[in-house]
Amino acid sequence: MRGLLLSLGAVVLAFIAAPLLIVVPMSFSSAASLEFPPPGWTTAYYGAFFGDARWTQPTINSILIALAVAVLTMAMVTPATFALVRHRFAGKSAVNLLLMLPLAVPHIVIAIGYYAYLSDLRLLQTFPGVILAHTALSVPMAFLVLSASLKGFDRSLERAAMSLGASPAATFRHVTLPVLWPGFAAAALFAFIQSFDETVVALFVSGRDSMTLPRKMFDSIRTTADPVIAVVSTLLFFTVAALVILPMLWRSFSRSRS
Amino acid sequence: MDEAAGSPAVSRRIAPQRASLRPWLLLMPLLVFLAAFFLVPLAQVAMMSVTEPEFGFGHYASIATDGFYLRVLADTFATALLVATCCLVLGFPLAYAMAAASPNMAAAMMIVVTMSFWTSFLVRTYAWMVLLGRSGPIAALLDWIGLPHGELLFTRFSSTIAMTHILLPYMVVSLYAVLRKIEPSLLRSAASLGASPTSVLRHVVLPLAAPGVVNGLTLVFVLCLGFYVTPILLGSPREQMVAGVIGQQIEEFLNFGEASALAVVLLASTLIVLGLYHRRFGLDKLWG
Repeated sequence: MRGLLLSLGAVVLAFIAAPLLIVVPMSFSSAASLEFPPPGWTTAYYGAFFGDARWTQPTINSILIALAVAVLTMAMVTPATFALVRHRFAGKSAVNLLLMLPLAVPHIVIAIGYYAYLSDLRLLQTFPGVILAHTALSVPMAFLVLSASLKGFDRSLERAAMSLGASPAATFRHVTLPVLWPGFAAAALFAFIQSFDETVVALFVSGRDSMTLPRKMFDSIRTTADPVIAVVSTLLFFTVAALVILPMLWRSFSRSRS
Repeated sequence: MDEAAGSPAVSRRIAPQRASLRPWLLLMPLLVFLAAFFLVPLAQVAMMSVTEPEFGFGHYASIATDGFYLRVLADTFATALLVATCCLVLGFPLAYAMAAASPNMAAAMMIVVTMSFWTSFLVRTYAWMVLLGRSGPIAALLDWIGLPHGELLFTRFSSTIAMTHILLPYMVVSLYAVLRKIEPSLLRSAASLGASPTSVLRHVVLPLAAPGVVNGLTLVFVLCLGFYVTPILLGSPREQMVAGVIGQQIEEFLNFGEASALAVVLLASTLIVLGLYHRRFGLDKLWG
């Protein structure tokens, strides 16, 4: 029974990994259509991606939008998380639920809401429109990550600083922030990725000038099976690999040093 | 208690008032923002469902009686149930293997699961287009074995398998969280008292894993109900899911009323499932 479960587990792991890995050889394929294994090899589609503004512009747009979303999200979620973790007040659990709501609402539902609402505000197909919508959607994850890190924070450190005469602002800057920065960084990264990957709302809300990369990819997959998709997928795959693996290596490296 | 700084006598006098106002001041920017850019657009969906093009509940009446909408809703629920079940069947052995593996091995396996989790839906959807395409490896394998197969892509099969793959990490993480907490000594003592491996699994492991199973099933089911991208790109145009029909109503017909009413039905279904979970277990446990 145990052996059976373990070997099944290995098969499932392969099932998870195989589709992620297949995009890498596909990006070097010389075939103009979906064909695996590739009939020949070329790097031409990498040139097609980096040399074509119809691909690079949405990529740059997505990075700019995600940066703005991360900054805006952190600016609002940070004080809110401190309030929710450190204070007890009436209505707290209702506020908690409200902050989690964007995670519970299917994106297609809020997407049509944004479509109507942002066009009323004349923000449809603009950068601010996409940024505002994505910020609301990234609140729950940023809040979850930040509150988990804040709950583990030892407040006697702050009390010690204050009793030694540090102002609340100085305490925050010199004690709280240095201890909690991995939590802040993780929360900001979650907000960035949430926006960078978001597809459904971007399909309805972003326009020609504010087109995001997922929207461009979606259009491209839907209309023509453009081989450049494999290039973008490979680049995204290696970016994720770096984001997942590097912090782990860094952690084990700093552990072995100390 | 939260305002411990300062001299006790002073803080005791000021604390109650400050403690009641301060959290709201800290929360204010975010609450105002969410009200303006989440609650209002969400309310607008509910509004449009009864005001576009004119006031009335006609859209809901047509959803409740129209065979097409009823079939789409039934298909959506059936698909979400199927995907959640597939995720459980596939996720359990993997989470079990991770819990049984050495710490380094478990970490390596977790990297694969985490990478899949973080890889864009679109990338994973595209990968399944390659895998299941007419000149892809799975069609070639089936031809080689000599198994007759029709078109694999743009069917219910292709969208179900891709959604299972995309949502599997949620299930694995939920299950692993409970399985790794089970004490190995518990399993050993059950075995030493004469329980067969199968009955250890049934009477010790599964009851202890139940909260993770419920968690994983709820998450996958709810996420699958609202899936838009994958069924559109990989699924059969004749067997759409409700999110796809909502998008189509807007994109092709600019029918905001009908789309909003369907969206309200989808939202209500999602919130009912999450509400049941919340009453029983508390929503804060769902996302770890």
